[in-house]
Amino acid sequence: MAEIRLKNLTKRWGDFIGVDDQSLDIHDEEFLVLLGPSGCGKTTTMRMIAGLEDPTAGEIWIGDRMVNDDLPKDRDVAMVFQNYGLYPHMTIYDNIAYPLKVRGTPKADIKPRVERAAEQVELTEFLHRKPKALSGGQRQRVALARAIVRTPKVFLMDEPLSNLDAKLRVTMRAELKHLSRALQITTVYVTHDQIEAMTLADRVAVMRHGIIQQLGTPDDIYNDPANMFVAGFIGSPAMNLINGSVQSGMFITTGGTKLVGIGGPDRESAILGVRADDMSVHDAGEGDIDVTIYAFENTGESTLLTVQWGKQRVIARGDRHLRKEQDDVVGIKLNPDHLYLFDPESGDRIRMGGA
Amino acid sequence: MTDQTTPEIELSEAQASEFWTGKRKQRFWRSIQAILIVLAAFVMLVPIIWIFLASFKSHVEVYQLRLFFTPTLENYGTVFEEPYNLGAKLYNSTIVAFVTVAFAIPIATMAAYSFSRFRLKFETTILVVILATQFVPAVVIILPFFIMFRDLGLLDTRIGLIMVNLAIVMPFAIWMIKGFIDGIPMDTEEAAMVDGSSRLQVIKNIVLPMAAPGLVTASIFCFILAWNEFLFALFLTNRDAVTLPIGLALFRGEEGDLWNLLSAAGIIIMAPMFVLALAIRKYFVQGMTMGAVR
Repeated sequence: MAEIRLKNLTKRWGDFIGVDDQSLDIHDEEFLVLLGPSGCGKTTTMRMIAGLEDPTAGEIWIGDRMVNDDLPKDRDVAMVFQNYGLYPHMTIYDNIAYPLKVRGTPKADIKPRVERAAEQVELTEFLHRKPKALSGGQRQRVALARAIVRTPKVFLMDEPLSNLDAKLRVTMRAELKHLSRALQITTVYVTHDQIEAMTLADRVAVMRHGIIQQLGTPDDIYNDPANMFVAGFIGSPAMNLINGSVQSGMFITTGGTKLVGIGGPDRESAILGVRADDMSVHDAGEGDIDVTIYAFENTGESTLLTVQWGKQRVIARGDRHLRKEQDDVVGIKLNPDHLYLFDPESGDRIRMGGA
Repeated sequence: MTDQTTPEIELSEAQASEFWTGKRKQRFWRSIQAILIVLAAFVMLVPIIWIFLASFKSHVEVYQLRLFFTPTLENYGTVFEEPYNLGAKLYNSTIVAFVTVAFAIPIATMAAYSFSRFRLKFETTILVVILATQFVPAVVIILPFFIMFRDLGLLDTRIGLIMVNLAIVMPFAIWMIKGFIDGIPMDTEEAAMVDGSSRLQVIKNIVLPMAAPGLVTASIFCFILAWNEFLFALFLTNRDAVTLPIGLALFRGEEGDLWNLLSAAGIIIMAPMFVLALAIRKYFVQGMTMGAVR
């Protein structure tokens, strides 16, 4: 049980900046997700916490101990690797038992603990096998069991689900969530998958270019993005970002005269962000604007309408019973409570008056 | 239904005939392949078979190219007697080869691990230079070695030979083993470190077992190099530390080449290679391909 504090953490390789002077407090028993595209510094941050990478500057605290100079083995963390990092020459039993053995746990203690960990991830019948004889999902569970066989201060998970197929990923995600609630151990989880981040996290830190863009609960990140990057990164389909300007309280797209009331001072250029779910589809003439359907997709649980909005294409989500054809004209209404305005230069959020 | 079934049958017949020509073609190339392999094996094995047969012949019979003769084990006795005394040479060769391997592999493993896992200054240069030492023709450096060994009192000693052999096998051993260690995923080692291992424990528990086929391959390769080493042994020994390959030269005497004795000695030199090859064939192939792929 421990909190993790990162103080002005920096990692540089020559001129390349991996992590740029970041500070982050991870609470005790919190499930924190580091989310971002590849190369954003999320894995580097985690590897520095694990001790596999030395920070160029800054401090790493686990509990009330600064661990900068501690070897990985002395940091009392457990880590799950993207490629599992199993020991191919050992049986599953020995794989799971390794952290106990190498730390000198009495032999009598090892067996029940390995069996309990194996039970928690439903691997009991595979204990005598070698990793080679297991499927990807089973290997992933071995890696998990190896992490939970001890009670470390911190769990570190580096894209643990990314090598699994889509179906298995959803199942394992739920298992992970269940397990983390049961174990109540501080967890840092690295992923580029925003759904994993949304579903698993207590808090999410969205990173880009070695800088944390926003730190908050999944709700915050989704409903109150700090900037255009976060807005575009979270959500599927991605948030629509529409170029335009603000004139006397109305948003006007670059393409033409389509108007949406948003209030606030005039701006020569601005980007309007709106999620597919915050647009409702109506008959032509009944929405804020009329648009032509560029593509109509039925995903089963809803429909996605890609529509031509001036010069841009925008995705709106419709009811699952909605049926339209390409080139049909529909009316789109925007939910005024969930519109976001961004500065096109900096990408920063422009907070709107009352909204 | 019937409309659909009929063409299907025709199609399968067409496929079948194609299938058979394909199979026949395949069989043709298979046999060509087999013939070539037998030919190649024949070319390589003929000298060995000749030596093998000659080693059981009498001095006179060697020169008669007869396939049928009365085999004798006499040659294998003679070579161990005075003046040839092959036993002492066998002893020297065995000691030199084994001790060379025993020192080379642990040292090379440590070097290879460092080259593989740590970023060192001038790493590539050092690696290339290590290998480049073996590009120098041995004849060129044999004189300095001779003078150095004479001054150090290492001439005609097994220790001297072991040192020379170490210098010969180490570069190859380092390169081979490095290839294997490169093939071990970093994840695995890092997992072990986070799991609580020190660097040495990682090497002992993870790297060595995973690199085992490579270590076996490298050991055998080094053993063969040391066992067959001729030039340095020829110049740096004359009586006490003479090894088997040099021992062969003894059979060229005033009576001409004693082919029957030469052959028996040759078989004695080759025998361990055969045994080794058989014992570790599986590892060797696995090791060679692994090293090649990575």
